[in-house]
Amino acid sequence: MDWKPRSGLQYRAMNVAATNKRLIQVRWGIGGLILGGTLILTFFFSLPLPPTPLLLLGSIILIYNIFFYVISCRSVDCESKMEKTQRLIILQVLLDWVAMAFFLHFTGGITSPATPIFLIHLLVITILLPDSSPVLYLALVIGVVVLIAALEGWEIWEHYTVIPALACDVYKDPVYVLGQIVFFSTAAGVMVMLASAIMKRLRIHERQLEGLLITSQTVSSTLKLPEVLEHLVVSAARALNVSSASIRLLDATGENLRMEADTGLSDTYRSKGPVQVSRSLIDREALSGHIVLIHNAADDDRFQYKDQILAEGIKSVLVAPISGRAGVLGVLRVYSRKEARFGEDEVDYVQAIAAQGGIAIENAMTHAALQEEEEARSTFIHTVTHELRSPVAGAQSLVRILDAGLAGPIAEKQQSILQRVSRRLDFLQELINDLLTLASSSTHFQHKPEPTALEPMLQMVLDDFRPLAAEKAINLEANGIKPDWSVWAGEDSLKIIFTNLIGNAVKYTQEGGLIRLEASADETSVSVKVSDSGIGIPEEDLVNLWKDFYRASNARTSGIQGTGLGLSIVKRLIENLEGQIRVQSKEGEGTTFTVTLRRV
Amino acid sequence: MAAILMIDDDPDFILAVQMVLENAGYTFFSASNGEQGYQAVKEHNPDLVILDVMMDTATAGFQLALKLRGPDAEESLKKIPILMFSAIHETTPLRFEPDEEFLPVDDFLEKPVVPDTLLEKVEFLLERSG
Repeated sequence: MDWKPRSGLQYRAMNVAATNKRLIQVRWGIGGLILGGTLILTFFFSLPLPPTPLLLLGSIILIYNIFFYVISCRSVDCESKMEKTQRLIILQVLLDWVAMAFFLHFTGGITSPATPIFLIHLLVITILLPDSSPVLYLALVIGVVVLIAALEGWEIWEHYTVIPALACDVYKDPVYVLGQIVFFSTAAGVMVMLASAIMKRLRIHERQLEGLLITSQTVSSTLKLPEVLEHLVVSAARALNVSSASIRLLDATGENLRMEADTGLSDTYRSKGPVQVSRSLIDREALSGHIVLIHNAADDDRFQYKDQILAEGIKSVLVAPISGRAGVLGVLRVYSRKEARFGEDEVDYVQAIAAQGGIAIENAMTHAALQEEEEARSTFIHTVTHELRSPVAGAQSLVRILDAGLAGPIAEKQQSILQRVSRRLDFLQELINDLLTLASSSTHFQHKPEPTALEPMLQMVLDDFRPLAAEKAINLEANGIKPDWSVWAGEDSLKIIFTNLIGNAVKYTQEGGLIRLEASADETSVSVKVSDSGIGIPEEDLVNLWKDFYRASNARTSGIQGTGLGLSIVKRLIENLEGQIRVQSKEGEGTTFTVTLRRV
Repeated sequence: MAAILMIDDDPDFILAVQMVLENAGYTFFSASNGEQGYQAVKEHNPDLVILDVMMDTATAGFQLALKLRGPDAEESLKKIPILMFSAIHETTPLRFEPDEEFLPVDDFLEKPVVPDTLLEKVEFLLERSG
């Protein structure tokens, strides 16, 4: 099963869904508490609560909670419903607020011991809905308390005296009422401010972590250096919520920092040329391992290109070193058009990003270096073997001339020696051709795979080998190859693969033996089996079979000529095509190679 | 008997082919680069030209073939059949079948020389061109 890391949006959606669920769950309790509490307090403790309105209120709360429960998404995948759920939450909050207002009224208005419940509700809202302005809720809550006090005080609304010990007119006493309101409002205000500030910090950290997660994912999703740098610089800018950032890497001399990736910077700024380490104090400091914070670029003289920075409108800059395992690679710069935009939090965060970036950049560079090495090696083999061709071919031609008697009669002894020379030269030529094929089979030289019809190519190779097979009285069969099958294959690679496999089968099968080709296919792939009744491959040789120049022990002692490169070439070509090859064999009985290729 | 001109920068090949063809009774001329080869064609007016695909430069053979057969070539030259020595894995921009547009030669031969094959192809081309 593929695990995919969650995006920030997915986490947010999960949180919204969880919030909604929690609100509904708590409301069951509250509704129940109101109903139960009313019954107990009224009938057991005989408090003068108005039972009917309260029971009604409790029931209504439970009813609208049922409605919300039913409407809410309860499936595992609620991400797509995030907006709807958010609207639902707001609706619930409003209804709760109305319900609480009535609850307050029915439990004594300004004298109600339940006023602190409003505070709880306010706190919950501030925490759960951080994107909205808490001041609005604060105003609503204070407003409703004041409204209730006013309506009851001026006798527009009936007052319920719930605590018998309290003087029955206290709700009209201005000192009492004012006192309650002032303390309540102060408590509410302070609480909202604190909670809000804490939530804000939490959200910033959450965003930063999310940013780090995304950076980590995108940066490790590719080994191509330009892409890694691009992802890094965009992530940094986005996570810090600034418009521009840049990455500069040290060049080979270690004297210049060249701009390798940037975002949000104008072309004029970008074209200003490499930063010379000797002339930029800022970058020297950063390269020595320290983060450099500039709050106002105008006041700072450590830049090499100060004018261009000011022209770009940049005020704050944060410069962090990017280090790999082997040393400093370059610098990451984040820019803002506001003064003093960056502080401790941002420093921490950029350091985290730069650390990740360093590792990713080093990996990409190593990968690129490896590929270059592989290409250089291939080119070398290619060039060398090419040079070997002419001399060998020339020598062979002349030996054949001699052997054919074209330069005069040749004695038998001389002819037998000439034939030995010729055989060695033949082998040399085969080796050269195989080496060239091997060198050409690296991805650098390969053509892009194209849809290739399988059947005609297999027939062609079989036809090539029929004369040789007939000489050895070997039965060559082919079954089940449908003419309409097409596979992804590069120019000539299929021919080389099957020429090698079928050629080996013919080479290593005794007189009177059997070679069979069978093919099968499913929706995504085609498999071709080449089986022979030949000398087989000893079990201990199977694991090394694909190595360059490897020949199985029985092949080496058989007197049959071979370079040991054939299977190595075949394996590389098949791997280039994203296919597979497997071998099964029993010494003395025969061998089966199964080639699986991607179907078109 | 027919006259055959071979253009190749490898003297060993020239010797090998010369021995095969002279033994079969043909008259044999040779040149070792594209320039000399072109002059030799004009001078000796051979019945068949054998070219190596690569000589002093990677495309020397190709270029000479174009000179003899291409749109700017003289008419008398265009009739001469051309046999080209090739090798697999050549890094020149050539296909492997003679094609009017890409490679104006009549047939290919691989190195090293196989005397019988060489003679077969030479005979076939000479007969065809009459």
